[in-house]
Amino acid sequence: MHKSASGSTLGPGGLDLTQAFFKPITNAAPPSPTKRQYKISVIGAGNVGMAIAQTILTQDLTDELVLVDTNADKLRGEMLDLQHAAAFLPRTKIQASVDSSVTAGSDLCIVTAGARQIPGESRLNLLQRNLNLFRAIIPPLVRYSPDTTLLIVSNPVDILTYVAWKLSGLPSNRVIGSGTNLDSSRFRFLIADHLDVNAQDVQAYIVGEHGDSSVALWSSISIGGVPVLSFLENQQIAYEKETLENIHKSVVDSAYEVIRLKGYTSWAIGYSVANLARSILRDQRKIHPVSVLAKGFYGIDGEVFLSLPAQLGRGGILGVTNVHLNEEETLRLTDSAKTILEVQTQLGI
Amino acid sequence: MHKSGSSSALGPGGLDLTQAFFKSIMNAAPSSPTKRHNKISVVGAGNVGMAIAQTILTQDLTDELALVDAIPEKLRGEMLDLQHAAAFLPRTKIHASTDYAVTAGSDLCIVTAGARQINGESRLNLLQRNVTLFQKIIPPLVGHSPDTILLIVSNPVDVLSYVAWKLSGFPSNRVIGSGTNLDSSRFRFLIADHLDVNAQDVQAFIVGEHGDSSVALWSSISVGGVPVLSFLEKQEIAYEREMLEKIHKEVIQGAYEVISLKGYTSWAIGYSVANLARSILRNQRRVHPVSVLAKGFYGIDGGEVFLSLPAQLGRGGVLGVTNVHLTEEESQRLRDSANTILEVQNQLAI
Repeated sequence: MHKSASGSTLGPGGLDLTQAFFKPITNAAPPSPTKRQYKISVIGAGNVGMAIAQTILTQDLTDELVLVDTNADKLRGEMLDLQHAAAFLPRTKIQASVDSSVTAGSDLCIVTAGARQIPGESRLNLLQRNLNLFRAIIPPLVRYSPDTTLLIVSNPVDILTYVAWKLSGLPSNRVIGSGTNLDSSRFRFLIADHLDVNAQDVQAYIVGEHGDSSVALWSSISIGGVPVLSFLENQQIAYEKETLENIHKSVVDSAYEVIRLKGYTSWAIGYSVANLARSILRDQRKIHPVSVLAKGFYGIDGEVFLSLPAQLGRGGILGVTNVHLNEEETLRLTDSAKTILEVQTQLGI
Repeated sequence: MHKSGSSSALGPGGLDLTQAFFKSIMNAAPSSPTKRHNKISVVGAGNVGMAIAQTILTQDLTDELALVDAIPEKLRGEMLDLQHAAAFLPRTKIHASTDYAVTAGSDLCIVTAGARQINGESRLNLLQRNVTLFQKIIPPLVGHSPDTILLIVSNPVDVLSYVAWKLSGFPSNRVIGSGTNLDSSRFRFLIADHLDVNAQDVQAFIVGEHGDSSVALWSSISVGGVPVLSFLEKQEIAYEREMLEKIHKEVIQGAYEVISLKGYTSWAIGYSVANLARSILRNQRRVHPVSVLAKGFYGIDGGEVFLSLPAQLGRGGVLGVTNVHLTEEESQRLRDSANTILEVQNQLAI
């Protein structure tokens, strides 16, 4: 019997029902060792971390959920608030501690810890604050779960995923950044809303930096199987390059817009990361635009993480798709890589 | 084509793909009018309202979700933050406005608006602040959705459910308070955690006031079909009445504890209310301890009061109240709870 909740008067010294409540099975064998329980740890119990944790819980993606933060009271409050919903959810073991030993044996470690992006602050400006934090967070995490997959959400996500990779010593297929998975969802939402079609019928990727230099892959957007740019040409519908850039810009701006309006973003990133968690743990082999080690792909030479359409499964990143980029897209992607590399170099990482 | 998201360069004046993208069907008939389409409105986009809205969305309980609040920027931010997840969710129409017209035709209206309970403040102290607010909220809400079911979450929930009922002019089966649904979940969690059993196998109701005078129905608690108090007697396991009261007190303290640790509660109430929404909209006919008009049940005659009783919920709202046997002590406590609420109600000019 475990007592994970508030100190209770149920138990020794109080009301102890455990004696004789259940009769054990004689000669019971222990659970088969090949039966695995999923364990996910979320580092950082702020708005983003908690939206991710709660969505994972609601979608029944894991058997064990662990929360880690530095603020012990906040952490305990959040843990209790999730546990109190026990009557409404499938049984999930939920724990929380400031001590990262509680994360031991995690299949997936999701890192959201870090300073919140202030309105107007570009993601790159957050960097210095978060570097030191990662030096304290990543090594113990990997020590307690050497077989884990790391999923980095903290911004600026591309550089921090690189930092996490370096600090962890893990092979690059097991260090992933949430990258442009959400940007692409926002992009798909805008297009779907315009056409009054389900967003899941819109295939549209934004790749590169999760930030101002991201690249919209217009040449490969298709809706219900209809490639959009070819459609426009066949229908002889004229469009300006500027128009496409405005649409892309409104995707990049939409995160800043939400921050300006409600102070932070939480729900969308929660769904986005839960979606990645599902693909990884359940070996869905789905393609997501996420931040991966880009060296060797699309002519990129530096050791840099940025978003590319990558296939995800139980082994982490299974591969990067070979989508055709036109000249301009290739150039922009290379520029995006350079932008990130410059900052990385300035910080002497 | 509708544009509910951020202003976009997609559309007239920008890139307009809508011309010829889809070829329409000749002689198409309009949608069948009997097709079920659910619309839920959530009034109040604070921590509680948004946890409820987001859980309803994740659990795919509705086709349309409307958010209402007094602060337009916060409201729009919350709406966008949900819409941006479009690629990860079934298609749900989400809108938000400070104007109640956006709630028109709702099947269920969930009211969370109100001041947040301050650390140490009892639920009853919030009351006066919230009654005035309800006088502004309830009439337009029911004006736009005369057939809706009202689900009140704002605290103190029992008195405010009564207030909502009076202001709405609705039959009492269509006004429900979230009541002790969550307290009971906390209670079931404590017992389940102790026994290392799934909380859904623990049947345990807390009824009465959602507050300090709530009543734990110990005599009808059962775990996997085993009535707990009889079990203790048969096993000759002694227990003090005081212990039972301490456990109950711990449940009541549970909410205050979360508030003192993280500043407010959100997730648990989100799941609790989404659970009620599901029972109502999907006609699940499940029994939940929720705040209903209690007059006429369990000897509560003194006045028109709402408090939690085990009630069967379905598409028509409250379908009935179960006839669970209460011990003398439980009956007395329930009547005391009713009086506690009535005293406060009578002090207010409603």
